[in-house]
Amino acid sequence: MFHVRGLTKTYGVGEAEVHALAGVDLDLNAGELIVLLGPSGSGKTTLLNNLGGLDVPTQGELRYRDLDLTQATPDELTRYRRDSVGFIFQFYNLIPSLTARENVGLITEIARDPMDPRSALELVNLGARLDHFPAQLSGGEQQRVAIARAIAKRPEVLLCDEPTGALDVRTGIVVLDAIERVNRELGTLTVIITHNAVMADMADRVIHFLDGRVHRESRNSNRVPPSTLRW
Amino acid sequence: MISQLDRKLLRDLSRMKGQAIAVAVVMGCGLAMMIMARSLIHSLEDTRREYYEAHRFAELFAHLKRAPISVADRAATIPGIAAVQADISAQVTLDIAGLDEPASGLVRSLPDYSTPVLNRLFLRRGRWLQPGSRGQVLVGEAFADANQLQPGDSVVMLLNGRRQELRIAGIVLSPEFVFESRPGAALPDNRTYGIFWMTEEEVAAAFDLDGAFNHLTATLAPGAAARPVMAALDALLAPYGGRGCYSRADHPSHIRVSDEIRILQVLSIGFPVVFLSVAAFMTHAVLSRLLNLQREQIAILKAFGFASGQIGLHYLKFSVAMVAGGALLGTFGGIGLGHRLVGMYHLFFRFPDLHFRLDYLAVGIALVVGALAATAGVFGAVRRAMNLPPAEAMRPEPPASFRPAVVERLGIASLFSHSFRIAVRNIERRPAQAFFTIAGLALATALLIIPNCFRDSVEELLGFQWDVVQRQDINLGLFDPAHPSVVAELQHLPGVQSVEPFRSVPIRIRSGHRSRQLGLMGLPAGAGHSRVIEAGYHEIAMPTAGIVVSRKLAEVLGARPGDTLSVEVLEGEQRTHGLRLVGLADDLTGISAYMELHALNRLLQDGDRVSGASFTVDANRRRDFLHALKDIPKISWVGIKESLRENFRKTTAASINLIQSIYLTFATIVAFGVIYNNARISLAERARELATLRVIGFTQREVGGVLLTELILLAVLAVPIGLLLGTGFARGIIEMVNTETVRLPARITAHNYAFAVLTVTTASALSAMVVLRRVRRLNLVGALKAPE
Repeated sequence: MFHVRGLTKTYGVGEAEVHALAGVDLDLNAGELIVLLGPSGSGKTTLLNNLGGLDVPTQGELRYRDLDLTQATPDELTRYRRDSVGFIFQFYNLIPSLTARENVGLITEIARDPMDPRSALELVNLGARLDHFPAQLSGGEQQRVAIARAIAKRPEVLLCDEPTGALDVRTGIVVLDAIERVNRELGTLTVIITHNAVMADMADRVIHFLDGRVHRESRNSNRVPPSTLRW
Repeated sequence: MISQLDRKLLRDLSRMKGQAIAVAVVMGCGLAMMIMARSLIHSLEDTRREYYEAHRFAELFAHLKRAPISVADRAATIPGIAAVQADISAQVTLDIAGLDEPASGLVRSLPDYSTPVLNRLFLRRGRWLQPGSRGQVLVGEAFADANQLQPGDSVVMLLNGRRQELRIAGIVLSPEFVFESRPGAALPDNRTYGIFWMTEEEVAAAFDLDGAFNHLTATLAPGAAARPVMAALDALLAPYGGRGCYSRADHPSHIRVSDEIRILQVLSIGFPVVFLSVAAFMTHAVLSRLLNLQREQIAILKAFGFASGQIGLHYLKFSVAMVAGGALLGTFGGIGLGHRLVGMYHLFFRFPDLHFRLDYLAVGIALVVGALAATAGVFGAVRRAMNLPPAEAMRPEPPASFRPAVVERLGIASLFSHSFRIAVRNIERRPAQAFFTIAGLALATALLIIPNCFRDSVEELLGFQWDVVQRQDINLGLFDPAHPSVVAELQHLPGVQSVEPFRSVPIRIRSGHRSRQLGLMGLPAGAGHSRVIEAGYHEIAMPTAGIVVSRKLAEVLGARPGDTLSVEVLEGEQRTHGLRLVGLADDLTGISAYMELHALNRLLQDGDRVSGASFTVDANRRRDFLHALKDIPKISWVGIKESLRENFRKTTAASINLIQSIYLTFATIVAFGVIYNNARISLAERARELATLRVIGFTQREVGGVLLTELILLAVLAVPIGLLLGTGFARGIIEMVNTETVRLPARITAHNYAFAVLTVTTASALSAMVVLRRVRRLNLVGALKAPE
């Protein structure tokens, strides 16, 4: 689904120049669950932002199906994000003034073929907390609302940036469970960024990132259910 | 079905309702004033037009000595004239029970057996004069109200020297006297001057004008030019002592209403512009800072595929909501105030039915202006939100590049506390935000200056008019110019301390195409009573030749000192003279022209004459003095400084105070709104930072101190700018209220400044208390956990 070749991204100029991505080659396929591992500053988030159409690369090839993301206009990128991509962030980034149902509803209102917000929340086991505001939810619950929000539009790609980074183990596993279930039941290409190596076991494919490049790649013959993970 | 984004809008609005309400209230104040003033203009203009039409107010007016009635018929045949009305107009004095001094007035004749063609009266109370009746009179409402006269009461009138008791048949209004005032007097005194109507037969008999008239009014045929008609009329009336006709533009009552409308026009633009700019600044501040707080939310919305346009629209709706609130407040506030103020005009202007008429166009304009102000205020902020690249927005706002503050670079930092340094760095870090805050505070301060400047300027005007210019206690006028020996006689009246003669003669003064009719005042050289003052309170010594006029009159005529003005005397032989303009008087009310008394008498060539005198009178014997005047038949009018001043205090000053207090209330609301808003936003923006300070061990006091130091620093910068700005605004607005009737001197007092500073300080202190209370409630753990 994604075709990435020689992708670079530089910030700043002259002495302050930083190569966040220094030539990434990658192919991502439909239905895969991919874990992207790497230390802080290795360029994982930059890659994710580029994949999600939040940022444009400096150089290289980046295609999503037939869409050339390096050449897309802001309008095309907006449409791409609206129709095809779901995001999950470390800090949930829910709209504090909207309830769980409304946070999901915000997206389903603009999506092409969305789920019912209630079904999306039930999918992440939050059917009982529909009308709670973010401030009334625990961190894990907030993150599951974020997942429901991301999947409610039935995206083809789900991009997760440190989805458990702000959570304890037990809640982290509940969240990973939800992500894994979405991937399995809806067949959504899922990319999870983490520096927690334990998560590698739940992936179809593990990509190790270092200094803005793919350092190494490995494939699991069978995925381990998240509920068995411990860290 | 309300969309989730709109739901967010409503919840965000309700969370920041304090700020939103403050913006709406400020905007409401501006719009209320605009709607009020425009509607009052609308009410006055429409009422006047309808009144003039319905009661057939004339367009041309002429006074003459005496002409047979056939002359009026000839006037009617002048091409361009549609209708004429000839009548008798005469000065009378009255003896009103309960009034110490003699009152004076004007009596007009009414046709015995028909309705007048022009200038028809409106009967307020009582009944019309009965045909063929005698001893009956109709009284103008202003005089009747001031003296509590009712139909059935009687008044004693000196008709051409003959004392006669008359019964009041009715109380009436006339389109000729919407503003009832003694000719030439800048301020009305309705207690001692009134207008009366009697049957033609009776007035003609009293003034020996049987079959004759001395006053003619006319209307123009549709499309007729006034100038040639006036020339023809002047030519026709000249042999009969015609004093030159004039049009509505020079009609005293008409001018007064027009002047009032002009003042309202200034106010309907000046004040709202300042208020709405403040509102625009405030919306800008609220929204741009709200956007900063919502960077992550904007990024999320973008990440999930909301288009920039949708996000821009979402944030524009914030300002729309505030405009809607402001418009609602403004419309109802404007209507309420308008109703209140229109009542005030009853004190000055006599219309059959002057009621408040809402100017719907003004409401529409106010809405558009309010929307523009708010949109202009948020435009930049919204555009920034739309252009924010989503990935960039996702990161917390880039850590600001702090640098040592200016006090530190100057090496005097050790003199200041920690919180002071944090505050200075914060201000320096965001100069644009500091600029907008200072601008808002400065405008709020400036607004406080304007209404008080109005009040002080009116005080100054009164002091100037009645203490500097007029040193006498009492003026009186004679029916006909008399030999100066009459002054010697008057000197012997009880209580007289000093007396000075004057001569006043009606003239038309002209320079090029521009002309005005007024009384030319002849004052004795070295006069100590009526003085002519130029800039800086210097007295002008009356020159033995040439003429001195009001600076405003010179401006109206387009004349400069050294120019020769054409002066047409409108009595006696009606000669025209060329007189050199030798000086400009900086008087503040009306337009005047002055000459030395002997020079004036030489010019008129009718010998040594005076037409009135001014007196200073022993206060203890004033009643005796006034009483004695009641028995002197040749006195046509009396003006008492104290009663004029008292009357002015009750009417004009009261109304100015009403307007001033409305504006001051508004200005105070705005000052509070701006300051409160600013404090609240600062707190919201820095909740995390302040919570962090608390976590690492700062006390509540110290944290509050950081915030307050910043607010105080901004206020200290803003207030002096505001005082200067306010002085400028006040001067500008008052400068625009510069009419032939009144010219306010812009007066800025230390008290005015002190009040503004005190109000801003109080508002700051109260806002600080609110903020401090909130600092106590900062959620330390929550604020640090994660950005929401």
